[in-house]
Amino acid sequence: MTGTSLLAAAAGNLLPTVTPAAPVPAQVTAVEGSLLAFVVLTALATALARDVLAAVIVFGAYSLGMAALYTFYRAPDVALTEAAISAGVTTVLLLLTLAKTTRIDHDVAFESVNVPAVGAVGLLFGGLLLTMGDVPAVGSPDAPVWSNPDVTQWYLSESYAQTGVDNTVMAVLAAFRGFDTFGEAVVVFAGGIAALIVLHREVFA
Amino acid sequence: MTLVDATVVAGYTVGDFLLLAAAGFVVLAIGMLYRAVKGPTMQDRVLAVNVLGTNTVVILAILAAALSEPTFLDIALVYALLNFLMAIAISKFTVERGGVL
Repeated sequence: MTGTSLLAAAAGNLLPTVTPAAPVPAQVTAVEGSLLAFVVLTALATALARDVLAAVIVFGAYSLGMAALYTFYRAPDVALTEAAISAGVTTVLLLLTLAKTTRIDHDVAFESVNVPAVGAVGLLFGGLLLTMGDVPAVGSPDAPVWSNPDVTQWYLSESYAQTGVDNTVMAVLAAFRGFDTFGEAVVVFAGGIAALIVLHREVFA
Repeated sequence: MTLVDATVVAGYTVGDFLLLAAAGFVVLAIGMLYRAVKGPTMQDRVLAVNVLGTNTVVILAILAAALSEPTFLDIALVYALLNFLMAIAISKFTVERGGVL
């Protein structure tokens, strides 16, 4: 998602770098558990809703839960991006699409479930769940992604000296992989131009 | 030692109770979800999502206090603004088809 990472870059500039939190103590799992239940319920309702507008609205509720979950995991930049992109832009874009096309009225509220497909997805989900035991704990200082001296720690110790940017995320996005980010900006710009051509418009207004 | 770390009862701090309150609000959000999913009219759904958004702002604010991260309040502010936008967009869509913005 090019637009998402660009926005994450913008958000990263506003917010201080978040240091990895201490391993989450056991008593906070009440928030985690209830948020996860909320997110799963909204995702199921979005997938099963027969009416498209209802699905769009429930998807907005889903992004509310996801943003709270990201915040709880101390990733405020991702939460901000989720808020701006998923709740704001996606909802409006989907509604615009609905306004340009047609919405069929349905008598039934929910889609009928395809049992073999659910079985296949369930098997895949179960298989993936088996690998969860090897994943390091949230915020663990021994996690390879954090303790790796050649990549993560190198960027953390060198990014300020080499780029002069306080925020490591910002330094990586705008300096170390600046050409990549520039390419993303070009892609987003080209997407905007393409949308204008499709809509037969001269300006974004 | 801040107020969040102050012990209230039996070793549980103010922060723990704030997290518990946040979990309570999330449970309430699951209750509100019923109206958003069931409807039956779009107005019901718009109102339900609006209440859910306000609820999320409260949850984010409580999390900001409980985790001692004041910057999290920025996300709550962004959500308060976007919540309004979402309600306006969906309401306009249901009233006059084609006019979202």
